[in-house]
Amino acid sequence: MNDLLAARSTMAFSLGFHIIFAAIGMTMPFFMSAAHYFYLKRKRPEYLELTKMWMKGVAILFAVGAVSGTVLSFELGLLWPGFMKYAGPIIGMPFSWEGTAFFLEAIAIGLFLYGWNRMHPWVHWATGLVVGISGFASGIFVVSANSWMNNPQGFTWVNGVVTNVDPVAAMFNKSWLHQTLHMQLAALQAVGFAVGGIHAYLYLKGRARDLNLKAMKIAMAFGAAAAIVQPFAGHFAAQKVAEYQPAKLAAMEGHFKTEKSADLYIGGIPDVEDQEMDYGLPIPGALSFLAFNDFNAEVKGLDQFPKEDWPPVVITHISFQVMVAIGTLMAILGSLYFYYLYLKKFPNNFLRALCACIPLGFIGIEAGWVVTEVGRQPWIIQGFLRTSEALSPIPGMQFHFYLFLLLYLFLGFVTVWLLKRMIQATQKKFEVPHD
Amino acid sequence: MIEILLFFIGASLLLYVLFGGADYGAGILEMLPAGKLREAQKKVINEAMGPVWEANHMWLVLVVVILFMGFPPVFTTLMISLHIPMVALLVGIVIRGCAFTFRHYDAVQEPRSQRVYTILFALSSVWTSLWLGIIVASLNRGRMDMHTQHFYDAYVAPWFGIYPLTMGVFVVVIFAFLASVYLIGETQDLELKRMFTRRAFFLNIFVVLCGGLVFASAEAESSSLLQEFIKHKIALLMMVFATLMYMLLWFVIRRQKTLWVRILSAAQVTLILGGWLFLYAPNALITTEGPMSFYTAAAPPATQLQLVIALIVGSCFIFPSLFYLMKVFKT
Repeated sequence: MNDLLAARSTMAFSLGFHIIFAAIGMTMPFFMSAAHYFYLKRKRPEYLELTKMWMKGVAILFAVGAVSGTVLSFELGLLWPGFMKYAGPIIGMPFSWEGTAFFLEAIAIGLFLYGWNRMHPWVHWATGLVVGISGFASGIFVVSANSWMNNPQGFTWVNGVVTNVDPVAAMFNKSWLHQTLHMQLAALQAVGFAVGGIHAYLYLKGRARDLNLKAMKIAMAFGAAAAIVQPFAGHFAAQKVAEYQPAKLAAMEGHFKTEKSADLYIGGIPDVEDQEMDYGLPIPGALSFLAFNDFNAEVKGLDQFPKEDWPPVVITHISFQVMVAIGTLMAILGSLYFYYLYLKKFPNNFLRALCACIPLGFIGIEAGWVVTEVGRQPWIIQGFLRTSEALSPIPGMQFHFYLFLLLYLFLGFVTVWLLKRMIQATQKKFEVPHD
Repeated sequence: MIEILLFFIGASLLLYVLFGGADYGAGILEMLPAGKLREAQKKVINEAMGPVWEANHMWLVLVVVILFMGFPPVFTTLMISLHIPMVALLVGIVIRGCAFTFRHYDAVQEPRSQRVYTILFALSSVWTSLWLGIIVASLNRGRMDMHTQHFYDAYVAPWFGIYPLTMGVFVVVIFAFLASVYLIGETQDLELKRMFTRRAFFLNIFVVLCGGLVFASAEAESSSLLQEFIKHKIALLMMVFATLMYMLLWFVIRRQKTLWVRILSAAQVTLILGGWLFLYAPNALITTEGPMSFYTAAAPPATQLQLVIALIVGSCFIFPSLFYLMKVFKT
């Protein structure tokens, strides 16, 4: 493994690890607050139990998310000093706001976790809500910093010297809106389906049925709504990518030759040697329509770019397909959820489908993130700076890679083990009430 | 504008040392023998730290953000030259935060897993504080070499040596001292109070001893720390006051005046850090080619302005919330 690959892989799993905890950390507090709200309104003990169970989950996941986020803030410099040298002054602004939001979140979570019976119940409830709101805001700030890497603005670049820095223009670049919208919805969707799925599973197993059904409904209310809106947000995002990052779009779609009325492929494996798509199912003109709302529009292919500027086509294409497939499935299940809610009866097969969705949303997030990041290669700042030029000069990056891989695997394992212990303990407690 | 940013860096560092430092110290104290008070001590530490540790930890993140947005050359130089200690620090931060949370939120509280969490928490508290001290000492040691191709000179020499190591030990001792002082007021149990008082007393002696050792080791390395202090009157005065404060502390700790012990120990640590910062201001770090000043390393004015706005607006949210947090849990 050379240093560049080791550094990229380190960044990949650090972010891939953090993104799961970040998604949970910024959306699950809303589920928790909803359960807490129902408890305060209706005084039913199962809502209190549910609030406390989710709260403990939030506490554990928040801590892991917070420390892995701290690691990332250092790793930006430890791995990519050549990037931070330029990017810090231009795109540091959303990070400084993220810092503020995250600070508030850290304070609010202390108040909520330990504040039972120390504050007015509704003030206490509000602190839980602040955890969610500030977490959600952090997510928006961080993703808008990432969108700048995809669509850099707010500076003048002459031979590697940056002038005319405008941090505000950099933050509100033309990609920030579609990227944040897409990501925040994805977080709600993935976490909603995961939590809903876990409770559907426990419900099917016949454990504490009332509790689990209520829990499933709260989580799915968020997850299903987000899943239904997501395809529209995704379509909006794809159109922006077509406009600002045509090479990324071409890689996403495995689109080699520039043409009018371009086909959209469902599935398929791009053959980079022969520059064609194998095994895919083509839909005539659909790519042109999706990208530009016009069946005859010309879509730029990879042939418009020098080969050394091509993103890894196979990885980008497959990740994109995985993301779209998961998104579509979830949109269908989300619609069905509201239909069954209206009928007031959830068929067992639907609940089984939800169980299957527990990991799907996270796989979708990871796939989507691969599309964004790998699809931008070989650039770290699209069109200005290559990833290889940003790499730290320190040799032996593979040691860094192994060290953090080991640490994160261990942490991930312990976290899952802890959550399992927690769910089992709560279920037991609720099945055999003891006073 | 740069002065405002420097103020925020100094203030964040100070708050990180005072609050985050006390949290680290709590973990370090768990390494010391406590006999039958072990469980009681763990309980007090869990309760005192639980609501605040996430917030206390944020001061460090704030410093990192100010550096990479406001002073990019400082940030990149640190991350390249001090890559190894920074990685060591990060590993410690990750294990420490997780071990503490897991210990508290594990739904099944059985002795075996609890012992593992406690050992990890205590060890990583010592480990992280040690590396923090090593990093601090490396800043002004003048051995960061940005042009050499030689691995040792580029990535080891900047932080490897007796002076950074004693600084690391000094930081461990200071954090442990802060924690013991702080914990005296966090418990009603008389036996525990006596234990923390005893520890605060001895640790304060160690603070002064280790402080002396830091100077001695700097001399041994022929870093001119002592001469720098003698040249710089404000820094020297602050360090002298910090040492004098020791007498007063000795007196109030003996009499268990909780509030005064807290105020005076915070003042002592503030003077030590303040003296240190004044000594080198406005330099951020010293490389083999000479000092790198915050003024020459600053980002463009537009960036500075945005950073100042974010910090000031952020403070308007953060300080009232922090105040409320303290009011709910600490009164």
